[in-house]
Amino acid sequence: MSVAAASATRAPVRLRHRRSARRLSKGQLAHLRQAISKAQRIGDDRGYQYWAGVHGLPLPVYCQHGSQLFLPWHRAYLYLFEKALQDQVPGVTLPWWDWRDHSEALPAAYARARTPGNKANPLHSSPIQPSGRRQANEKRTWREPGDPSWLPSAAQVTQVRANRDYFTFQSQLESLHNGVHGFVGGTMASVATSAYDPIFWAHHCMIDRLWYLWQLDHPGARLPGRYLDLALPPFEMTVRETLDVTALGYDYAAGTAAVPGPRRG
Amino acid sequence: MVERFRSKALELPDPEHGFDRVDLAFYDVDHSSATYEARIFIGAPRGLARDVGADHPAYAGSFFVFGHDRCYGEEGHCEVPEGRDPFDLRLPHHLEPEAEIVTVTDAVRRLAEGGKRKAPVDVLARGPDGAPVKALAFDRLRLLTYR
Repeated sequence: MSVAAASATRAPVRLRHRRSARRLSKGQLAHLRQAISKAQRIGDDRGYQYWAGVHGLPLPVYCQHGSQLFLPWHRAYLYLFEKALQDQVPGVTLPWWDWRDHSEALPAAYARARTPGNKANPLHSSPIQPSGRRQANEKRTWREPGDPSWLPSAAQVTQVRANRDYFTFQSQLESLHNGVHGFVGGTMASVATSAYDPIFWAHHCMIDRLWYLWQLDHPGARLPGRYLDLALPPFEMTVRETLDVTALGYDYAAGTAAVPGPRRG
Repeated sequence: MVERFRSKALELPDPEHGFDRVDLAFYDVDHSSATYEARIFIGAPRGLARDVGADHPAYAGSFFVFGHDRCYGEEGHCEVPEGRDPFDLRLPHHLEPEAEIVTVTDAVRRLAEGGKRKAPVDVLARGPDGAPVKALAFDRLRLLTYR
């Protein structure tokens, strides 16, 4: 089976677009903040804390790192988290953080503690549930941006995307991904806690986007059948079910703008 | 675990045989502790400074490890089982060591075209704050040449 099933030319009617975090319109950013805030107020398995906890703490550690399932597992993870957000705010999508642009450490939407309306910015930090903390006093996420050389450059990303072998591509992309976790620092620098930081989701959207672009670059790449049938616990999905993002209802756009058309009479 | 490692000299490819790409593969890399960058130098003199960077002439590339910090379970939770049962369909242990593949074509080409036939590999582990970290552990490294 081809790993490059993604195609922008056969978009389903209700395809949704993940956009650059730097190009969100005011309305799109407001929807994202609203969705995260609403999910933060839910204490059960629909809520933010549940989904953040799936990655690391509380145990078990479900995330796949340094394994052959890194890309598909995180694609499933983002997909299901985004679905949980869409249950709160229909149509909302996760944005991607293009960290190749080193001109600002973090996208402004995530970097500022307060919104323009002087409310707490839910993209800046998050509470951490007691069972998700490394230490009892780590009640909220925190960042400590470090050396920008830990952020991948455009040249490094181009080199990694040129890999024709999927598993080498995945391994080298994961290493670049690791550097971004280290750059953000604080909560993001540990597998155990990283998913509690709201920037985690934008970082992983960029990783997922690069996989999507690699799929478009390498339409003939094939994967072993045994691999495609592997499950991605705790998600009820297999690797095969993660390959086509349009089948999952989304693709990646830089930005979008829409206006109403004439209604059918 | 160590903060730096210097290998025995590895045989470099002969430029007369030609190569398009050279990878350095690190096998069974531990990721159970700190998050760090492993900076790689090929053919460097002994005694590299602790803060040596990408501007050093022997710099070849780096890989990053996303660490688990420490064990959050009870005794034995983070011990990776050996001798996996082929009928065990569960996913591998979360601390199963990983492989890292770093493309080092330019660095090896410089050395090979300069007449070097063998060179050691130095690996320095640095944390996000730039300080050396004792988190580096792997079983083997291999130079892979492609054309």
